[in-house]
Amino acid sequence: MGLMGDAVRTQGLFKRFGQQVAVGGVDLIVPRGSFAGLVGPNGAGKTTTLGMVTGLLRPDGGRAEIEGHDVWTDPVGVKSNIGVLPEGLRLFERLSGRELLTYNGRIRGISPEETRRRADELIQVMDLVESQDKLVVDYSTGMRKKIALAAALLHNPRVLFLDEPFEGVDPVSANTLVDVLRRYTSSGSTVIFSSHVMDLVERLCDWVSVMNRGQIVAQGPLTEVRGERTLNEAFLQLVGARGNGEEGLSWLGSPTA
Amino acid sequence: MARLSDGVTSPGPAGPGGVTPSGPAGTADLTLFALFVRLKGRLILGSLRGDTAKQIGFVFSVLAAVVCGAGGFLLFALLRMASPGTALDAGVVVFAVFTIGWALIPLVFFGLDETLDPSRLALFPLSTRQLAIGMTAASATGPWPLATLAILAGGIAGLSRGPGGVVIGLLAVALQFVLCLVVSRLITTALSGALRSRRGRDVLAVAAVFVVLAFQLPNLIVNRSNPGDVAGLFSAAADVLRWTPPGLAAHAIADGGIAGVADLAAVAVVVVVLAWAWIAALRRALVLPDASNQGGGSVRRSWIERFLPRGMLGAVVSKELKYARREPRGRIAWFSAIVVSGVIMFSIRGDAGPSGPGSVAGPACLAALMIGLQAGNVFGLDGRSFWMNAVAFPTEREMRTDLAGRHLGTAIIAVPLLAVVALVAGLLMGDASWALPAALTAWGVLGVTLGAGAVASVLLPYTVPERLNAFSGAAPGQGGLAFVSSLGMMLASAAVALPIFLPVAMGLTWVAPLAVPYGLLAAWGGRRLAASLGFGRMPEIFAAVSRGS
Repeated sequence: MGLMGDAVRTQGLFKRFGQQVAVGGVDLIVPRGSFAGLVGPNGAGKTTTLGMVTGLLRPDGGRAEIEGHDVWTDPVGVKSNIGVLPEGLRLFERLSGRELLTYNGRIRGISPEETRRRADELIQVMDLVESQDKLVVDYSTGMRKKIALAAALLHNPRVLFLDEPFEGVDPVSANTLVDVLRRYTSSGSTVIFSSHVMDLVERLCDWVSVMNRGQIVAQGPLTEVRGERTLNEAFLQLVGARGNGEEGLSWLGSPTA
Repeated sequence: MARLSDGVTSPGPAGPGGVTPSGPAGTADLTLFALFVRLKGRLILGSLRGDTAKQIGFVFSVLAAVVCGAGGFLLFALLRMASPGTALDAGVVVFAVFTIGWALIPLVFFGLDETLDPSRLALFPLSTRQLAIGMTAASATGPWPLATLAILAGGIAGLSRGPGGVVIGLLAVALQFVLCLVVSRLITTALSGALRSRRGRDVLAVAAVFVVLAFQLPNLIVNRSNPGDVAGLFSAAADVLRWTPPGLAAHAIADGGIAGVADLAAVAVVVVVLAWAWIAALRRALVLPDASNQGGGSVRRSWIERFLPRGMLGAVVSKELKYARREPRGRIAWFSAIVVSGVIMFSIRGDAGPSGPGSVAGPACLAALMIGLQAGNVFGLDGRSFWMNAVAFPTEREMRTDLAGRHLGTAIIAVPLLAVVALVAGLLMGDASWALPAALTAWGVLGVTLGAGAVASVLLPYTVPERLNAFSGAAPGQGGLAFVSSLGMMLASAAVALPIFLPVAMGLTWVAPLAVPYGLLAAWGGRRLAASLGFGRMPEIFAAVSRGS
């Protein structure tokens, strides 16, 4: 099947909620070692796709493979290889940041000593030393994303799935997240993250998959997908954004009250 | 901010709906009153939009309010048949209970009812006085405030003894109603800073258990004493409450003369003073920094982990023990288990009923069942954080270990607790030697219920709402599911536990030592079955426990 070069590969992934088709046959491909962006407008099916690929949402059809392991028939091969940071972020809120990392390390069978060593380093890198003993429920959005990323990285997964990791994050925390992710991919691991901030995707990613209305409308190396344009222009064209908003609103900002 | 907290008279330029209070102050106040009544109405309707379960719930709530209002009015009016002294005693108690109820119950709805939180209205150009009028109007709007008013009005029919009483009664009921509103507002406003913070809400959630308990207390006392004493109880309570503002208001209606007018004057003074205190608190609350964003303190690193198994099992146990302590829902569950056991023990003692090992084992086993019931929806308590486990468990074995860790965590708290229950029950029944078989049996029953709970958790998981509310333990639309789950688990536990409970209850105490291995076996079997059924269903469990609430 030639899957060995791909970190993630899905075929005809399909999901409907009631009448509405959320994801209508998605063939997502992410080559190993890439920093991949999954972009699309709100409601395009990004979160649903990531949920099905990570085994949190059962698809109605199609298949998904990670590092050559089928997500739904070979959970052992998949789960030890992936780290996940879902959207909406509920963590074990009544644990402190440090306790959360300890818990995650130990349910994944890492020894207490090794867990402590890794947790120490992650807390240091994420700049969470001062708040490591506070409960996660009292964390700010940026702190939550950082501790969640730390928890997702603790078992050294080969593929990392991040759903809107930069949403509501302050620039300082965002910078920390980006640094950690860059280091992580430079060692040959794969990151797939969803976003609708095109500038960020353009700056970080070498691979882009564009989704619209439950379908992949373009996929490939960043330079190919955007061509001569900026990614934002390419994206707007791909999803068929209408008009430039010049009709109506003529009163807005005009001197007549 | 300055304009919000300054003048008592300066009318703001425009209300929230663009209504400009112009003309004489009285009309402006009336307009504002009507505006807030409409605002509250809109908020109620808005919260119901597009949610059938909530709409049905609201219809039931309105029906209940109508029934309570009309029934309460009639019952109160029926006091006319009683002797004037008894009627007055009852009236004083009812008025006082309403005042206390109004003081406490809105605290539970803080955060659900936006008009309760002054900071929501802080940015509108309203003076403090206007805000006070508006918030009073908002409090008075809704089915339950109107039901309160109807019941209180029953006091006029029930207590007045002449035309003077009716006239004074109308005033007294109005004053009493305003008293209820002002007391409730004063308390929510004074606490609004704390209520907006996570810590404050946590404390309040646990405090709510004590409030429920406080309301149960008279019930227990009445059960203890003979039923003829109820009147005596009322008169004792009325003696205490006679000179409180609600007592004065009730007395004024019954008196209907000069003394009644004096009573009313006193109540009016109290209302004015409370209103003044409320406005002062409101003024302060509006300009105080928002405490909700201040982070909580640090937690101590746990030492208990040193005594727990090193692997995954220990990690789950330590997480469970932390949750029992830190999560309000956990604390409430444990509190209620203890309270219910206590109530059962004391009520059994009161009867001249069966005496023997069964009368000690009975309460202890019921307590075990209560504690075990908490384990009937273990993934529901994880809720939307369940994904952290779901992405980490590659095989059934991890799920089994997870369940075992949860059971061990529960047992670490429950085993000593059940021993104490058994001992106290034994002492109360007059034979401490019955405590040992009772404790052994209760431990066995605990094991059985934990096993049944594990299976129920994977077969019928449901979302536990994150915001506590006193009326439902499940997310909207899942109430029936939660009921079926608990009922099924209770029946299954009872059936499986019967072989160990029955012999002990009938006096064959030598069976008791067998109860513990039996319970362990049942728990182990339950976990195995639950993990093999549940592992393949993890996405479905995740969906069921992470519904919006």
